Amino acid sequence: MQCDKCGAEAVMHAAYSGLHLCSEHFRRSVESRVRRRIRDDALLSEAATADDPETWLVGLSGGKDSVVLTHLLEGTFASDPRVELVALTVHEGIDGYRDASLEACLELTDDLDIEHEVVSYADEYGVEMDAVAEDDPEGMAPCAYCGVFRRDALSRYADEYGADKLLTGHNLDDEAQTAMMNLLSGDIAQVAKHFDASLGSFEEREVDDSPFVPRAKPLRDIPEKEVALYAHLADLPVHMAECPHASEAYRGEIQELLYGLEDDHPGTRHSIMSGYEELARLAAEAHRGGEGPRGECDRCGAPTNNEVCRKCDLVDAVGGELPGDD
Amino acid sequence: MDVTCEVLGGGTHELELDADATYGDVLEAVGLSTQEASVLVGDSPVPEDRRIEVDSVQVLRLIKGGATPGGT
Repeated sequence: MQCDKCGAEAVMHAAYSGLHLCSEHFRRSVESRVRRRIRDDALLSEAATADDPETWLVGLSGGKDSVVLTHLLEGTFASDPRVELVALTVHEGIDGYRDASLEACLELTDDLDIEHEVVSYADEYGVEMDAVAEDDPEGMAPCAYCGVFRRDALSRYADEYGADKLLTGHNLDDEAQTAMMNLLSGDIAQVAKHFDASLGSFEEREVDDSPFVPRAKPLRDIPEKEVALYAHLADLPVHMAECPHASEAYRGEIQELLYGLEDDHPGTRHSIMSGYEELARLAAEAHRGGEGPRGECDRCGAPTNNEVCRKCDLVDAVGGELPGDD
Repeated sequence: MDVTCEVLGGGTHELELDADATYGDVLEAVGLSTQEASVLVGDSPVPEDRRIEVDSVQVLRLIKGGATPGGT
C-alpha cells in the first residue's frame, strides 16, 4: 500500500481524509497542521520583536502530547528571535510514575537545548498525589484535585516568567471529549469560558482584561493516535505509562462514544470541533462583561471571586501548606 | 490465517483471522478501536485498511488518562 503523495510504503491511513501516507509525508502533515493552527490562532503576536520577544511557557509532562508539542515548537521557533520558549514540568508526587516521566522530560529538553523548569506539588503545596488520592478528604476523583493544583502551578510560573502564553498539548480527541462533556452537561457558561480561556483565536478572544495568562493548544487539530504515531516515528523520548490514579469515568464514556462514531463516520471529531468552536464563540460574546474573577485570594493572591481560592481550599483540605505558610 | 499479536504493555494474543483480514481486524480482535491503537510490523506502523501479510504483529496503544479535567 503506497503513500498517496509519493508512492513510498504507507505507514498510516487517515480515514477522515482517505489519505495513505508514508512516514515522511505523515510527519510533514502533522507539522504543517500544527503550524497552520498557530497561524490561524494568531499565536505569535504582531507586536513581538527580537528586541521584545514573547515568552511561551510549555507544560511538559513527559507524555506523548506535551513531548510532541515541545519538539514541534522548538523545531519551528528555535531560530525565531521573537519567541522565547520555556518548558515547565510539574512533579505531582506519584510513586514510580512521575519519576519516570520526569526522566523523559529531561532527556527531551537536553536534546533540544530548551530552558526547562521543574516544580513539584511537594514544594509548592506540601502535598503528594499518592497521599491525596488515599485520603480523598473531599470525595473527589484524584484528577479533580490534581487538575486544580496543576493549573495553579502552571499559572503561577507563567506569571513568574512573565509568560505571554501558556501552551498545553491537548489534542483533537481531548478537545472533542471536552466539547461533548460541556454540551451534554448543558453548561453554556463553561462553553463560553472554554472559548475565552483557550479555544478561540487570539484575534477573537477577549484576553486583555483577564487576570490569567492566556492558554493555547497548537495540537488541537491532531487526533490523539496521530500524536502517538508521530512520537514513535520521530523516536521521541516519551513516557509510556498510565497514571495509576487516572479515573475520569465520565470522560472515558465520552471517549468510547467518540471512538465508535469516528469508526463509523470518519471526520466526526473534526465536525464536532468545527461546530462547537462557532457555538463557543457565540456563547462567549453573549457571556462577556464582568464574569471573570475580580478579586484576589486573601491567602496566595491568585485571581478569584471568593475570599480564598479553590486551590487554597484544597491545600487546607488535604493537609498541605503553601511556601509562605509557617 | 493465524496471527500472533503482542499488545505492547499488554499481553500476547494468538488470533485466528479470515484469509482476507486487514490490520484493522487485528485491532478489533484484541478489543481496540482504530482510533486508539496502531499496528506495527517490524517496528513500522501499517495502515489499518491494508491486508495482513505477516504472521506476527505488535500493537502500540494509547495511554489512558491524564487530560486536565474540564479542558478549558
